[in-house]
Amino acid sequence: MLGLSIVIGVVVVLGVVVALGYNRLVRLRNEADTGWANIDVQLQRRADLIPNLVEAVRGYAAHERAVFDEVTRARTALQGATTPGSAANANEGLTAALGRLFAVAEAYPDLKASENFLRLQGDLTDTEDKISAARRYYNSTVMHFNTAIQSIPWVLVARPLGFRDKEFFSAEGDTAPPQVSFSQTT
Amino acid sequence: MTLQEQIRSNRFRSGIVVFGFALLLLVIAGLIGVVLDLSLGVFALAIALAYGIFALVRSRSMIAGMTRAQALGEKELEPLRRLVENVSIGAGLAVTPEIRLVDDAAPNAFAAGLRPEKSYVGVTTGLLRTMPKRELEAVIAHEISHIRNRDTYLMTMATVFAGVIALVADIGFRSIAYGGRSRKAGGIVVVLAVVGFILAPYAALLLRMSLSRRREYLADAGAAEILNDPEAMALALRRLELDTTSLRYADASTAHLWVESPTDRVDSERRGVLAMSGLFNTHPALPDRIEALEEVGGFRLPERLPDDEPFAAALGLT
Repeated sequence: MLGLSIVIGVVVVLGVVVALGYNRLVRLRNEADTGWANIDVQLQRRADLIPNLVEAVRGYAAHERAVFDEVTRARTALQGATTPGSAANANEGLTAALGRLFAVAEAYPDLKASENFLRLQGDLTDTEDKISAARRYYNSTVMHFNTAIQSIPWVLVARPLGFRDKEFFSAEGDTAPPQVSFSQTT
Repeated sequence: MTLQEQIRSNRFRSGIVVFGFALLLLVIAGLIGVVLDLSLGVFALAIALAYGIFALVRSRSMIAGMTRAQALGEKELEPLRRLVENVSIGAGLAVTPEIRLVDDAAPNAFAAGLRPEKSYVGVTTGLLRTMPKRELEAVIAHEISHIRNRDTYLMTMATVFAGVIALVADIGFRSIAYGGRSRKAGGIVVVLAVVGFILAPYAALLLRMSLSRRREYLADAGAAEILNDPEAMALALRRLELDTTSLRYADASTAHLWVESPTDRVDSERRGVLAMSGLFNTHPALPDRIEALEEVGGFRLPERLPDDEPFAAALGLT
Protein backbone atom coordinates (compact mmCIF):
# COMPACT_ATOMS: atom_id res chain seq x y z
CA MET A 1 0.00 0.00 0.00
CA LEU A 2 2.78 2.36 0.99
CA GLY A 3 4.80 1.27 -2.02
CA LEU A 4 1.88 1.96 -4.33
CA SER A 5 1.31 5.46 -3.02
CA ILE A 6 5.01 6.24 -3.40
CA VAL A 7 4.89 5.09 -7.01
CA ILE A 8 1.78 7.15 -7.67
CA GLY A 9 3.39 10.16 -5.99
CA VAL A 10 6.53 9.87 -8.11
CA VAL A 11 4.50 9.51 -11.30
CA VAL A 12 2.41 12.59 -10.47
CA VAL A 13 5.49 14.69 -9.66
CA LEU A 14 7.21 13.53 -12.86
CA GLY A 15 4.10 14.36 -14.87
CA VAL A 16 3.99 17.88 -13.47
CA VAL A 17 7.70 18.43 -14.14
CA VAL A 18 7.36 17.20 -17.72
CA ALA A 19 4.30 19.35 -18.36
CA LEU A 20 5.97 22.50 -17.01
CA GLY A 21 9.15 21.84 -18.96
CA TYR A 22 7.25 21.17 -22.16
CA ASN A 23 5.28 24.38 -21.78
CA ARG A 24 8.52 26.27 -21.28
CA LEU A 25 9.93 24.90 -24.54
CA VAL A 26 6.76 25.86 -26.37
CA ARG A 27 6.98 29.35 -24.94
CA LEU A 28 10.62 29.74 -25.93
CA ARG A 29 9.83 28.52 -29.44
CA ASN A 30 6.99 31.02 -29.76
CA GLU A 31 9.27 33.81 -28.60
CA ALA A 32 11.79 32.90 -31.29
CA ASP A 33 9.03 32.73 -33.91
CA THR A 34 7.84 36.20 -32.91
CA GLY A 35 11.42 37.41 -33.12
CA TRP A 36 11.68 36.04 -36.63
CA ALA A 37 8.41 37.67 -37.65
CA ASN A 38 9.82 41.01 -36.42
CA ILE A 39 12.86 40.64 -38.69
CA ASP A 40 10.69 39.56 -41.59
CA VAL A 41 8.58 42.72 -41.33
CA GLN A 42 11.67 44.93 -41.49
CA LEU A 43 13.24 42.95 -44.35
CA GLN A 44 10.02 43.35 -46.31
CA ARG A 45 10.03 47.06 -45.52
CA ARG A 46 13.56 47.32 -46.82
CA ALA A 47 12.68 45.45 -50.00
CA ASP A 48 9.69 47.75 -50.53
CA LEU A 49 11.91 50.81 -50.51
CA ILE A 50 14.15 49.51 -53.29
CA PRO A 51 11.97 50.10 -56.40
CA ASN A 52 11.46 53.77 -55.51
CA LEU A 53 15.14 54.19 -54.84
CA VAL A 54 16.09 52.59 -58.15
CA GLU A 55 13.56 54.82 -59.96
CA ALA A 56 14.98 57.91 -58.25
CA VAL A 57 18.52 57.09 -59.39
CA ARG A 58 17.36 56.01 -62.88
CA GLY A 59 15.92 59.47 -63.36
CA TYR A 60 19.46 60.88 -63.29
CA ALA A 61 21.59 57.98 -64.48
CA ALA A 62 19.49 55.90 -66.87
CA HIS A 63 22.51 54.22 -68.48
CA GLU A 64 23.73 52.52 -65.29
CA ARG A 65 21.59 49.52 -66.13
CA ALA A 66 23.96 46.90 -64.73
CA VAL A 67 23.76 48.34 -61.24
CA PHE A 68 19.95 48.56 -61.36
CA ASP A 69 19.72 44.93 -62.48
CA GLU A 70 22.03 43.86 -59.69
CA VAL A 71 19.98 45.69 -57.04
CA THR A 72 16.74 44.28 -58.43
CA ARG A 73 18.17 40.75 -58.45
CA ALA A 74 19.38 41.14 -54.87
CA ARG A 75 15.93 42.35 -53.87
CA THR A 76 14.24 39.37 -55.50
CA ALA A 77 16.69 37.04 -53.75
CA LEU A 78 15.84 38.63 -50.41
CA GLN A 79 12.12 38.24 -50.99
CA GLY A 80 12.60 34.62 -51.99
CA ALA A 81 14.71 33.70 -48.96
CA THR A 82 12.85 31.47 -46.52
CA THR A 83 15.29 30.48 -43.79
CA PRO A 84 16.96 32.92 -41.39
CA GLY A 85 20.42 32.01 -42.68
CA SER A 86 19.57 32.49 -46.35
CA ALA A 87 17.67 35.69 -45.59
CA ALA A 88 20.72 37.04 -43.76
CA ASN A 89 22.91 36.20 -46.77
CA ALA A 90 20.44 37.77 -49.20
CA ASN A 91 20.24 40.83 -46.97
CA GLU A 92 24.03 41.15 -47.06
CA GLY A 93 23.86 40.78 -50.85
CA LEU A 94 21.36 43.62 -51.03
CA THR A 95 23.60 45.77 -48.83
CA ALA A 96 26.52 45.19 -51.21
CA ALA A 97 24.40 45.99 -54.29
CA LEU A 98 23.02 49.14 -52.63
CA GLY A 99 26.59 50.16 -51.86
CA ARG A 100 27.28 50.20 -55.59
CA LEU A 101 24.04 52.06 -56.28
CA PHE A 102 25.00 54.78 -53.82
CA ALA A 103 28.49 54.91 -55.33
CA VAL A 104 26.83 55.66 -58.68
CA ALA A 105 24.64 58.31 -57.04
CA GLU A 106 27.79 60.03 -55.75
CA ALA A 107 28.54 61.18 -59.29
CA TYR A 108 25.26 63.11 -59.59
CA PRO A 109 25.11 66.14 -57.25
CA ASP A 110 21.55 67.01 -58.36
CA LEU A 111 20.37 63.54 -57.40
CA LYS A 112 22.17 63.64 -54.08
CA ALA A 113 20.52 66.95 -53.27
CA SER A 114 17.02 65.89 -54.33
CA GLU A 115 14.57 65.69 -51.48
CA ASN A 116 13.06 62.43 -52.67
CA PHE A 117 16.45 60.72 -52.76
CA LEU A 118 17.43 62.03 -49.32
CA ARG A 119 14.18 60.85 -47.82
CA LEU A 120 14.57 57.38 -49.34
CA GLN A 121 18.13 57.21 -48.10
CA GLY A 122 17.00 58.21 -44.60
CA ASP A 123 14.22 55.60 -44.61
CA LEU A 124 16.68 52.97 -45.75
CA THR A 125 19.16 53.77 -42.99
CA ASP A 126 16.33 53.68 -40.48
CA THR A 127 15.16 50.29 -41.76
CA GLU A 128 18.70 48.94 -41.52
CA ASP A 129 18.87 50.10 -37.89
CA LYS A 130 15.57 48.36 -37.25
CA ILE A 131 16.78 45.16 -38.89
CA SER A 132 19.82 45.10 -36.64
CA ALA A 133 17.65 45.76 -33.56
CA ALA A 134 15.23 42.98 -34.56
CA ARG A 135 18.19 40.73 -35.23
CA ARG A 136 19.60 41.26 -31.73
CA TYR A 137 16.26 40.28 -30.24
CA TYR A 138 15.73 37.29 -32.52
CA ASN A 139 19.23 35.91 -31.99
CA SER A 140 18.89 36.13 -28.22
CA THR A 141 15.56 34.27 -28.30
CA VAL A 142 17.13 31.61 -30.55
CA MET A 143 20.01 31.25 -28.13
CA HIS A 144 17.62 30.71 -25.20
CA PHE A 145 15.58 28.19 -27.17
CA ASN A 146 18.55 26.23 -28.51
CA THR A 147 20.20 26.13 -25.10
CA ALA A 148 16.98 24.80 -23.60
CA ILE A 149 16.54 21.93 -26.08
CA GLN A 150 20.23 21.04 -26.04
CA SER A 151 20.33 20.69 -22.26
CA ILE A 152 19.69 17.53 -20.28
CA PRO A 153 17.04 16.15 -20.04
CA TRP A 154 15.37 17.82 -23.01
CA VAL A 155 18.12 16.89 -25.43
CA LEU A 156 16.81 13.30 -25.17
CA VAL A 157 13.20 14.07 -26.04
CA ALA A 158 13.20 17.42 -27.85
CA ARG A 159 13.50 15.87 -31.32
CA PRO A 160 10.74 13.27 -30.93
CA LEU A 161 8.52 16.06 -29.56
CA GLY A 162 9.16 18.11 -32.67
CA PHE A 163 11.60 20.72 -31.35
CA ARG A 164 14.42 21.47 -33.78
CA ASP A 165 17.35 23.84 -33.33
CA LYS A 166 16.59 27.26 -34.74
CA GLU A 167 18.90 29.04 -37.11
CA PHE A 168 20.48 32.35 -36.13
CA PHE A 169 19.96 35.35 -38.37
CA SER A 170 23.56 35.73 -39.42
CA ALA A 171 25.19 35.79 -42.83
CA GLU A 172 28.10 33.53 -43.74
CA GLY A 173 31.25 35.01 -42.36
CA ASP A 174 29.43 36.89 -39.60
CA THR A 175 30.89 34.55 -37.03
CA ALA A 176 34.44 34.99 -38.31
CA PRO A 177 36.96 36.07 -35.69
CA PRO A 178 37.24 39.85 -35.32
CA GLN A 179 40.80 40.12 -36.65
CA VAL A 180 39.51 39.31 -40.16
CA SER A 181 37.44 42.47 -40.25
CA PHE A 182 40.35 44.44 -38.82
CA SER A 183 42.66 43.23 -41.60
CA GLN A 184 40.05 44.36 -44.14
CA THR A 185 40.02 47.90 -42.87
CA THR A 186 43.79 48.35 -42.86
CA MET B 1 16.20 33.78 -16.36
CA THR B 2 14.59 34.33 -19.71
CA LEU B 3 12.39 37.29 -20.35
CA GLN B 4 9.10 35.42 -20.03
CA GLU B 5 10.23 33.88 -16.77
CA GLN B 6 11.16 37.31 -15.47
CA ILE B 7 7.78 38.66 -16.50
CA ARG B 8 6.04 35.77 -14.78
CA SER B 9 8.05 36.27 -11.63
CA ASN B 10 7.10 39.95 -11.72
CA ARG B 11 3.45 39.03 -12.13
CA PHE B 12 3.77 36.68 -9.18
CA ARG B 13 5.40 39.38 -7.08
CA SER B 14 2.68 41.79 -8.12
CA GLY B 15 0.21 39.30 -6.75
CA ILE B 16 2.12 39.12 -3.47
CA VAL B 17 2.28 42.91 -3.28
CA VAL B 18 -1.45 43.21 -3.90
CA PHE B 19 -2.11 40.55 -1.27
CA GLY B 20 0.30 42.13 1.23
CA PHE B 21 -1.22 45.55 0.78
CA ALA B 22 -4.72 44.18 1.04
CA LEU B 23 -3.75 42.45 4.28
CA LEU B 24 -2.12 45.58 5.67
CA LEU B 25 -5.21 47.55 4.72
CA LEU B 26 -7.51 45.07 6.42
CA VAL B 27 -5.40 45.12 9.58
CA ILE B 28 -5.52 48.91 9.76
CA ALA B 29 -9.20 49.06 8.99
CA GLY B 30 -9.71 46.33 11.58
CA LEU B 31 -7.73 48.32 14.13
CA ILE B 32 -9.87 51.34 13.45
CA GLY B 33 -12.97 49.22 13.75
CA VAL B 34 -11.95 47.62 17.06
CA VAL B 35 -10.31 50.55 18.78
CA LEU B 36 -12.56 53.33 17.62
CA ASP B 37 -15.74 52.47 15.90
CA LEU B 38 -16.86 49.65 13.66
CA SER B 39 -18.61 51.97 11.22
CA LEU B 40 -15.51 54.16 10.98
CA GLY B 41 -13.48 51.05 10.05
CA VAL B 42 -15.94 50.14 7.30
CA PHE B 43 -16.00 53.77 6.15
CA ALA B 44 -12.19 53.88 5.94
CA LEU B 45 -12.15 50.64 3.94
CA ALA B 46 -14.79 51.94 1.52
CA ILE B 47 -12.87 55.20 1.02
CA ALA B 48 -9.69 53.20 0.44
CA LEU B 49 -11.31 51.00 -2.20
CA ALA B 50 -12.90 53.91 -4.00
CA TYR B 51 -9.67 55.90 -4.00
CA GLY B 52 -7.64 52.86 -5.08
CA ILE B 53 -9.88 52.06 -8.05
CA PHE B 54 -10.03 55.69 -9.11
CA ALA B 55 -6.24 56.02 -8.88
CA LEU B 56 -5.62 52.85 -10.91
CA VAL B 57 -7.99 53.92 -13.66
CA ARG B 58 -6.53 57.40 -13.78
CA SER B 59 -2.90 56.40 -13.12
CA ARG B 60 -1.71 57.12 -16.65
CA SER B 61 -2.78 60.72 -16.76
CA MET B 62 -2.16 61.22 -13.05
CA ILE B 63 1.49 60.30 -13.45
CA ALA B 64 1.78 62.47 -16.54
CA GLY B 65 0.33 65.33 -14.54
CA MET B 66 2.60 64.82 -11.55
CA THR B 67 5.71 64.69 -13.73
CA ARG B 68 4.57 67.53 -16.06
CA ALA B 69 5.05 65.22 -19.08
CA GLN B 70 3.62 66.50 -22.38
CA ALA B 71 2.60 64.33 -25.32
CA LEU B 72 4.49 65.02 -28.56
CA GLY B 73 2.82 66.51 -31.62
CA GLU B 74 2.24 64.58 -34.85
CA LYS B 75 5.60 65.07 -36.59
CA GLU B 76 7.56 66.45 -33.68
CA LEU B 77 11.04 65.15 -32.83
CA GLU B 78 11.00 62.46 -35.53
CA PRO B 79 14.58 61.25 -34.83
CA LEU B 80 13.69 60.66 -31.17
CA ARG B 81 10.63 58.71 -32.20
CA ARG B 82 12.74 56.54 -34.48
CA LEU B 83 15.27 55.95 -31.76
CA VAL B 84 12.57 54.79 -29.33
CA GLU B 85 11.03 52.63 -32.04
CA ASN B 86 14.36 50.93 -32.76
CA VAL B 87 15.05 50.26 -29.11
CA SER B 88 11.60 48.76 -28.61
CA ILE B 89 12.10 46.51 -31.63
CA GLY B 90 15.36 45.37 -30.06
CA ALA B 91 13.44 44.63 -26.87
CA GLY B 92 10.85 42.61 -28.79
CA LEU B 93 7.95 44.83 -27.73
CA ALA B 94 4.88 44.48 -29.91
CA VAL B 95 3.94 48.16 -29.65
CA THR B 96 6.33 51.11 -29.50
CA PRO B 97 5.59 53.16 -26.38
CA GLU B 98 4.54 56.78 -26.76
CA ILE B 99 7.03 59.49 -25.89
CA ARG B 100 6.27 62.32 -23.49
CA LEU B 101 8.52 65.29 -23.00
CA VAL B 102 9.22 66.90 -19.65
CA ASP B 103 10.53 70.42 -19.98
CA ASP B 104 13.22 70.28 -17.31
CA ALA B 105 16.95 70.93 -17.34
CA ALA B 106 17.74 67.89 -15.19
CA PRO B 107 18.59 64.82 -17.28
CA ASN B 108 16.18 62.05 -16.33
CA ALA B 109 13.61 59.66 -17.80
CA PHE B 110 10.77 57.48 -16.59
CA ALA B 111 8.27 54.93 -17.81
CA ALA B 112 4.62 54.58 -16.83
CA GLY B 113 1.53 52.63 -17.76
CA LEU B 114 -0.31 49.57 -16.51
CA ARG B 115 0.03 47.56 -19.73
CA PRO B 116 2.93 47.50 -22.21
CA GLU B 117 0.64 48.51 -25.10
CA LYS B 118 -0.57 51.51 -23.14
CA SER B 119 2.76 52.64 -21.76
CA TYR B 120 4.80 55.71 -22.38
CA VAL B 121 8.36 56.83 -21.86
CA GLY B 122 8.94 60.28 -20.42
CA VAL B 123 12.22 62.06 -21.11
CA THR B 124 13.35 65.47 -19.94
CA THR B 125 14.68 68.02 -22.38
CA GLY B 126 17.75 68.06 -20.13
CA LEU B 127 18.36 64.41 -20.97
CA LEU B 128 18.29 65.13 -24.70
CA ARG B 129 20.69 68.03 -24.20
CA THR B 130 23.09 65.97 -22.09
CA MET B 131 23.25 62.51 -23.65
CA PRO B 132 24.86 61.55 -26.92
CA LYS B 133 22.90 59.09 -29.05
CA ARG B 134 24.51 55.92 -27.74
CA GLU B 135 23.85 56.78 -24.11
CA LEU B 136 20.36 58.12 -24.79
CA GLU B 137 19.57 54.77 -26.38
CA ALA B 138 20.76 53.08 -23.19
CA VAL B 139 18.51 55.23 -21.02
CA ILE B 140 15.53 54.57 -23.29
CA ALA B 141 16.38 50.86 -23.24
CA HIS B 142 16.39 51.00 -19.44
CA GLU B 143 12.88 52.47 -19.44
CA ILE B 144 11.69 50.04 -22.08
CA SER B 145 12.92 47.15 -20.02
CA HIS B 146 10.86 48.47 -17.11
CA ILE B 147 7.86 48.34 -19.43
CA ARG B 148 8.76 44.92 -20.83
CA ASN B 149 9.38 43.39 -17.39
CA ARG B 150 6.01 44.75 -16.23
CA ASP B 151 7.83 46.83 -13.61
CA THR B 152 5.70 49.82 -14.52
CA TYR B 153 2.61 47.75 -13.80
CA LEU B 154 3.89 46.60 -10.44
CA MET B 155 5.19 50.04 -9.47
CA THR B 156 1.97 51.76 -10.44
CA MET B 157 0.02 49.31 -8.30
CA ALA B 158 2.44 49.76 -5.43
CA THR B 159 2.24 53.56 -5.74
CA VAL B 160 -1.53 53.49 -5.58
CA PHE B 161 -1.64 51.06 -2.66
CA ALA B 162 0.94 52.98 -0.67
CA GLY B 163 -1.20 56.07 -1.16
CA VAL B 164 -4.30 54.21 -0.02
CA ILE B 165 -2.60 52.86 3.12
CA ALA B 166 -1.35 56.30 4.03
CA LEU B 167 -4.85 57.69 3.57
CA VAL B 168 -6.52 55.07 5.75
CA ALA B 169 -3.86 55.25 8.45
CA ASP B 170 -4.35 58.99 8.43
CA ILE B 171 -8.08 58.61 9.00
CA GLY B 172 -7.37 56.34 11.96
CA PHE B 173 -4.67 58.55 13.42
CA ARG B 174 -6.72 61.72 13.17
CA SER B 175 -9.73 60.08 14.73
CA ILE B 176 -7.65 59.14 17.77
CA ALA B 177 -5.80 62.41 17.94
CA TYR B 178 -8.84 64.66 17.62
CA GLY B 179 -11.27 63.40 20.19
CA GLY B 180 -12.18 59.96 18.90
CA ARG B 181 -13.48 57.96 21.85
CA SER B 182 -12.29 54.41 22.30
CA ARG B 183 -15.34 52.39 23.09
CA LYS B 184 -14.13 48.96 23.93
CA ALA B 185 -10.40 49.02 24.38
CA GLY B 186 -8.10 50.09 27.15
CA GLY B 187 -5.06 52.36 27.14
CA ILE B 188 -2.48 49.82 25.92
CA VAL B 189 -4.49 48.93 22.82
CA VAL B 190 -4.92 52.59 21.98
CA VAL B 191 -1.18 53.19 22.27
CA LEU B 192 -0.50 50.17 20.06
CA ALA B 193 -3.02 51.38 17.55
CA VAL B 194 -1.48 54.85 17.45
CA VAL B 195 1.94 53.32 16.86
CA GLY B 196 0.41 51.07 14.18
CA PHE B 197 -1.25 53.98 12.41
CA ILE B 198 1.98 55.96 12.42
CA LEU B 199 4.13 53.11 11.18
CA ALA B 200 1.77 51.65 8.57
CA PRO B 201 2.47 54.19 5.81
CA TYR B 202 6.18 53.70 6.35
CA ALA B 203 5.85 49.95 6.04
CA ALA B 204 4.06 50.46 2.74
CA LEU B 205 6.67 52.94 1.57
CA LEU B 206 9.52 50.66 2.54
CA LEU B 207 8.03 47.75 0.63
CA ARG B 208 7.47 49.91 -2.43
CA MET B 209 11.02 51.18 -2.40
CA SER B 210 12.74 47.86 -1.86
CA LEU B 211 10.79 46.61 -4.85
CA SER B 212 11.94 49.57 -6.87
CA ARG B 213 15.62 49.22 -6.03
CA ARG B 214 16.01 45.62 -7.13
CA ARG B 215 14.19 46.48 -10.31
CA GLU B 216 16.73 49.16 -11.20
CA TYR B 217 19.52 46.59 -11.39
CA LEU B 218 17.31 44.34 -13.51
CA ALA B 219 16.41 47.17 -15.86
CA ASP B 220 20.09 48.15 -16.22
CA ALA B 221 20.94 44.57 -17.13
CA GLY B 222 17.95 44.47 -19.49
CA ALA B 223 19.10 47.63 -21.25
CA ALA B 224 22.59 46.18 -21.66
CA GLU B 225 21.08 43.08 -23.22
CA ILE B 226 18.66 44.92 -25.52
CA LEU B 227 21.47 46.99 -27.03
CA ASN B 228 24.16 44.35 -26.53
CA ASP B 229 26.19 47.21 -25.07
CA PRO B 230 26.60 47.27 -21.27
CA GLU B 231 29.15 50.06 -21.52
CA ALA B 232 26.59 52.47 -23.00
CA MET B 233 24.35 52.04 -19.95
CA ALA B 234 27.29 52.51 -17.57
CA LEU B 235 28.43 55.63 -19.43
CA ALA B 236 24.93 57.06 -19.25
CA LEU B 237 24.76 56.41 -15.50
CA ARG B 238 28.16 58.04 -14.99
CA ARG B 239 26.96 61.06 -16.92
CA LEU B 240 23.87 61.23 -14.71
CA GLU B 241 26.11 60.96 -11.66
CA LEU B 242 28.25 63.91 -12.78
CA ASP B 243 25.19 66.04 -13.40
CA THR B 244 23.92 67.89 -10.35
CA THR B 245 20.75 69.49 -11.69
CA SER B 246 17.63 68.53 -9.76
CA LEU B 247 14.19 68.08 -11.24
CA ARG B 248 11.95 71.03 -10.56
CA TYR B 249 8.83 68.99 -10.00
CA ALA B 250 10.41 66.08 -8.21
CA ASP B 251 7.92 64.55 -5.89
CA ALA B 252 8.23 61.66 -3.46
CA SER B 253 5.23 59.89 -4.91
CA THR B 254 6.79 59.55 -8.36
CA ALA B 255 10.46 59.30 -7.34
CA HIS B 256 10.69 55.55 -7.95
CA LEU B 257 9.64 55.93 -11.59
CA TRP B 258 12.72 57.81 -12.79
CA VAL B 259 15.96 56.34 -14.09
CA GLU B 260 17.92 58.27 -11.48
CA SER B 261 16.40 59.27 -8.16
CA PRO B 262 15.24 62.88 -8.67
CA THR B 263 14.92 63.73 -4.99
CA ASP B 264 18.15 62.54 -3.38
CA ARG B 265 19.34 65.88 -2.12
CA VAL B 266 16.01 67.03 -0.78
CA ASP B 267 15.32 63.70 0.83
CA SER B 268 18.56 63.22 2.65
CA GLU B 269 18.18 66.60 4.33
CA ARG B 270 14.62 65.90 5.32
CA ARG B 271 15.10 62.43 6.64
CA GLY B 272 18.40 62.86 8.43
CA VAL B 273 19.46 59.63 10.11
CA LEU B 274 17.12 57.36 8.19
CA ALA B 275 18.69 58.39 4.90
CA MET B 276 22.02 57.10 6.13
CA SER B 277 20.82 53.53 6.20
CA GLY B 278 19.72 53.74 2.59
CA LEU B 279 16.47 52.03 3.54
CA PHE B 280 14.34 54.85 2.23
CA ASN B 281 16.14 55.38 -1.05
CA THR B 282 14.15 54.58 -4.15
CA HIS B 283 17.27 53.83 -6.19
CA PRO B 284 20.56 52.09 -5.51
CA ALA B 285 23.53 54.45 -5.62
CA LEU B 286 24.72 55.13 -9.16
CA PRO B 287 28.30 53.89 -8.49
CA ASP B 288 26.84 50.55 -7.36
CA ARG B 289 24.79 50.29 -10.52
CA ILE B 290 27.80 51.16 -12.67
CA GLU B 291 29.87 48.56 -10.85
CA ALA B 292 27.23 45.89 -11.44
CA LEU B 293 27.32 46.66 -15.17
CA GLU B 294 31.11 46.60 -15.25
CA GLU B 295 31.00 43.16 -13.68
CA VAL B 296 28.52 41.78 -16.20
CA GLY B 297 30.19 43.37 -19.19
CA GLY B 298 33.77 42.77 -18.11
CA PHE B 299 34.98 46.32 -18.74
CA ARG B 300 36.11 49.40 -16.81
CA LEU B 301 34.69 52.82 -17.54
CA PRO B 302 37.24 55.29 -18.84
CA GLU B 303 38.15 58.24 -16.61
CA ARG B 304 36.83 60.70 -19.15
CA LEU B 305 33.42 60.42 -20.74
CA PRO B 306 33.31 60.60 -24.54
CA ASP B 307 32.43 64.15 -25.54
CA ASP B 308 30.14 63.24 -28.42
CA GLU B 309 27.51 65.66 -29.53
CA PRO B 310 24.29 65.47 -27.45
CA PHE B 311 21.29 64.02 -29.27
CA ALA B 312 19.44 67.36 -28.99
CA ALA B 313 21.57 68.58 -31.91
CA ALA B 314 20.07 65.93 -34.19
CA LEU B 315 16.62 67.05 -33.05
CA GLY B 316 17.29 70.70 -33.72
CA LEU B 317 16.79 71.59 -30.05
CA THR B 318 18.97 74.33 -28.69
